[in-house]
Amino acid sequence: MKSKKTALAQGFIRCHDCGCLSKQTDKNSQCRLCGGRLHPRLPNSFQRSAALLLSAFCLYIPANIFPIMTVTRLGVGEPHTIIGGIIALVNGNMVPIAILVLVASILVPLLKLLGIGLLLLNVHYRWQVHAKKWTILYRIIAFVGRWSMLDIFMISILVSLVDMGSVAQVIAGPAATAFAAVVVLTMFAAKNFDPRLIWDNQR
Amino acid sequence: MNPTILSACPECDLLLKPSSPVVGDKVHCPRCGYLLQRPRKQSVERTFALSIAGLILMFPANLMPLVGIKMLGGAKDGTLWSGVVALFEEHLWGVAVLVFLSSILFPLLNIILSLLISAHLYFNRPNRHLAHWMRWLQHLDEWAMLEVYMLGIIVACVKLSSTSELKFGFGLYAFVALLIVTGMLASSLDKVLFWRQIGQLRT
Repeated sequence: MKSKKTALAQGFIRCHDCGCLSKQTDKNSQCRLCGGRLHPRLPNSFQRSAALLLSAFCLYIPANIFPIMTVTRLGVGEPHTIIGGIIALVNGNMVPIAILVLVASILVPLLKLLGIGLLLLNVHYRWQVHAKKWTILYRIIAFVGRWSMLDIFMISILVSLVDMGSVAQVIAGPAATAFAAVVVLTMFAAKNFDPRLIWDNQR
Repeated sequence: MNPTILSACPECDLLLKPSSPVVGDKVHCPRCGYLLQRPRKQSVERTFALSIAGLILMFPANLMPLVGIKMLGGAKDGTLWSGVVALFEEHLWGVAVLVFLSSILFPLLNIILSLLISAHLYFNRPNRHLAHWMRWLQHLDEWAMLEVYMLGIIVACVKLSSTSELKFGFGLYAFVALLIVTGMLASSLDKVLFWRQIGQLRT
């Protein structure tokens, strides 16, 4: 049972790109203004988002157990995982930066994985209450997503700067690829999730 | 009902009556609170000017060294590009491509597209690609991550500051200026107004 207040219930489709409303007629029609494909909702939003989220979940494990970079000083190599890097920052009396990295590379990916999971459960089981709060959760996830790239950029800078042969060298580890993939996959999952599905379940 | 004068909220699909906000207003969706439109003073002119400034700043920010380090007699400068190359040389192609796209190519494309669109709107020149450009701009927006890169530079510098001597290059100042310009660019670009004008140029 859909609310009569939505554009779709009144027979209009909103173009995803330009926001222009069109009358709902036959499938695959084009937007009058921008020529884009019209869909009442993002196509296969739930399935795509769930698939991307599951792959991100799987990659989250190698991203955390493998070393993300190896710092070599005077020939002695020392591999760091994401958590290891944060602990090293705390030991070096750089607590504010450690908190920043903790938020960007551990809390934000976790929040995104759990948050999108909850949003999908919400849509699937049609939890009818607090639609506005769920929409705010969606907005936070969509906004915060890109900031997890912090660790990847930091590694790219460290790898290019600290390259003094055997004296000091930073080598990126296999977890970097996994972590980057987690960030990209969760961003795509959030992009494919259509927040209007939360509101479609409202009575 | 004529669909051209009505609009719908992109996040909850609530059918909305037309409103004509003036500069300084913020139009929120009454149901989900989404920020629908925030008209800006001279949106087209400012976007045009800022994208020219951004395009100019792109060159020093990309070509000149951002940070240099001195460590046990060795010295090295880092640019945006050298980070990508360093990752590539360590066979992390995926991460290298991602860093290249989000720190170099997408910010550049973003500025070029803003420049093209605002120039056409400013001089009232119709172009059949305008809607495509605007659509790309909207999709790319999220993937240009200069501000995240800046945070990455800060964290990397703090990590290195205990063991080596840091030197900030001219490129870094250009990069910070670019960051400010792209931030202003994003806030001056009023998407609703731009789409409306693109629609008017078409007919």
